[in-house]
Amino acid sequence: MGLHIKDDGSSRGRILASSLLFMGLGHILYLRQYLKGLLYALYEIIFLLLLPGIISRLKGMITLGDPKPELPVKLRDHSIFMLIDGVAVLALIFLFVAVYAISVRSAMNEYRDYTVEKRFKTNKESMSRLLGKAFPIFGLVPTVALILFFVVVPLVFSASVAFTNYSSPAHIPPNNTVDWVGMDNFKAMFGGEAAWTRALGRVALWTLCWAVLATFTCYFGGMIMAVVLIDNKIKIAPVFRSLFILPYAVPTVVSMLVWQNLLNGSFGTVNRTLMKIGLINSPIPWLSNAWLAKFTVVLINLWAGFPYFMLLITGTMTAISKDVFEAAKIDGANRFQLFKTITLPLVLYQTTPLMIMSFTHNINNFGAIFFLTGGDPVVADSTVTSAGGTDILVTWIYKLTVNLLRYNYASVLAVMIFVILAPFAIFQFRRTKSYKEGDL
Amino acid sequence: MGRKIIRRINLIVVLIILVIITLAVLYPLVYVVSAAFSPGNSIASLNILPFGDGFTFKHFIHLFTKTDYLIWFKNTFIIAASTSFLTMLVASLGAYVFSRFNFTFKRSMMLSMLILQIFPSFVGMIAIYVILQRIGGFNQLWGLVLVYLAGNIPYNTWLVKSYMDTIPKSLDESARIDGANHFRIYRKIVMPVARPIITFLGITSFTAPWMDFIFPKMVLRSADKMTLALGLFNFVTDKKNEFTNFAAGSVLIAIPFIIFFVITQKTMVTSFGSAAVKE
Repeated sequence: MGLHIKDDGSSRGRILASSLLFMGLGHILYLRQYLKGLLYALYEIIFLLLLPGIISRLKGMITLGDPKPELPVKLRDHSIFMLIDGVAVLALIFLFVAVYAISVRSAMNEYRDYTVEKRFKTNKESMSRLLGKAFPIFGLVPTVALILFFVVVPLVFSASVAFTNYSSPAHIPPNNTVDWVGMDNFKAMFGGEAAWTRALGRVALWTLCWAVLATFTCYFGGMIMAVVLIDNKIKIAPVFRSLFILPYAVPTVVSMLVWQNLLNGSFGTVNRTLMKIGLINSPIPWLSNAWLAKFTVVLINLWAGFPYFMLLITGTMTAISKDVFEAAKIDGANRFQLFKTITLPLVLYQTTPLMIMSFTHNINNFGAIFFLTGGDPVVADSTVTSAGGTDILVTWIYKLTVNLLRYNYASVLAVMIFVILAPFAIFQFRRTKSYKEGDL
Repeated sequence: MGRKIIRRINLIVVLIILVIITLAVLYPLVYVVSAAFSPGNSIASLNILPFGDGFTFKHFIHLFTKTDYLIWFKNTFIIAASTSFLTMLVASLGAYVFSRFNFTFKRSMMLSMLILQIFPSFVGMIAIYVILQRIGGFNQLWGLVLVYLAGNIPYNTWLVKSYMDTIPKSLDESARIDGANHFRIYRKIVMPVARPIITFLGITSFTAPWMDFIFPKMVLRSADKMTLALGLFNFVTDKKNEFTNFAAGSVLIAIPFIIFFVITQKTMVTSFGSAAVKE
């Protein structure tokens, strides 16, 4: 059985054509790998059987359903389910194409082996190779499935919603349908609607300021503490260090809610204490004045965030070889010079990647803002946009999703976060060992 | 002689500053502990001095008898423990395959994981909400576990893979000659050697869902599915102002956290650091 092929490499075209024609055909017809070929063919047959459903889902994704007000709510077209099904089906098609490519490549590799060895693999050989592959496939299936359907599909869906009118009150399924609106949401947020444009500019700017300030204060706050405490003149330094770690060990939701209550303008303990001592006459609006609230969130974030960098920098500093310091001391360097020319550059070099990671973390630091201020206080455009004085992009997304049900605008913001984070993704990638060694 | 005095003064100034910072660092923590044992209810009624109102256990009793605190605790524990276990399993299996096998699209898969891990899961929040409704995972603990697990995979697979790359391949080769199959090598040889990173992974993927707020808020709706973070948050929302109950609940959660953290701080931070730098 099996059609004849030449072993000098001239049958490449035939293998390629048959493998492209139907999955596994090349394996069965020419390469005498019946089991593998059948498995591939079976995969394609299943896909073809599902094809009608796949096509109707894709159509649904394009139309997003028609309004059918005469039908009961349960039977109407649910645009959002149609959209998510469409995106999920796209993921399935992507998976199918990928396996197709793998099957063609496998056939070509088998043929190359044949031209080298001048004989087909025995059944036993191909069986044991197949079994050898079972483990990596089994090991990767959960990873691939989870990433595809719970990471990639949501991201694609989010990006798609930015081009629809999915929002309260007129376009919330199942009562109403949702439609594609092209770039309308982007136009509205970038100049079309004054209140939204102003809010977006304000929030985006504050997100960046917040991320920079939060990162820098924690980093240098942590560094100062590390430097002061590592100086062995203070005998009880370890005690201080252990105490300073405590804020970092407390979960954000707890510590920020505590601070929110302590700093409350009218009944908060901080104001009551300060008034009792006589330092102030009227309460300080820690969280209710837009500018002061911005200052407060950065300050409280310093409280919560400096211990991490303190520990990290302490670790880096103790790892610096003592010989370097001795040599510099012999050359007559004083303590400040030692710090400036040896410690600081080394620590900066070692911890810059972590500082950048902390920056991206702060851009998305939902907890530090939401639990402390809830994004408040309200400012001029808050009644329309729900964006308060300390809202950053992610807390605004949360409010748009949960309170206002303006999913379309929330998705525009999600797309903006992609754009802001993309350079950091590239940076992260270029820093990896695999990239540096040329593996990737 | 003069220099010595200047140094002394310097040291004293530094110590005073350190003491002030210590007070600032400890103030909210001490205050919340004292609030947990104070008789009052809202923060407005509390004495500005810690422990200025006397001492009572009534908030703890209230938590266990009048609220669903134990149910919240149970739910949170189930979610965190399952997330932690499944993350260790899936990430280590995936990492083992990435570290030890060569296959088509390996490069592109690793690259996409690296890029995907930078985006926080909640930018796809609306989609996750819809997907869970679609597959029946809405208002279910397992739905939430699935979301956390998927979010954990890209970064942690990389992390474990980088660690496994440092384990010499000669170890597996010799086992293979002895007739061990891939699963046996993974379980008996690679996993024990990779234990430090797997432990680190288990801890971080336990603590993150333990106190997460956004996803439970979105996915879990009924009272019997609430988690600790949701329950605690509800104590101090606009409608209620039960700061002392909140404080009691928080102290119960935070103390094991702090004890654990203080014990493991060194390893945690060095792993954080090296894990991030190594890759």
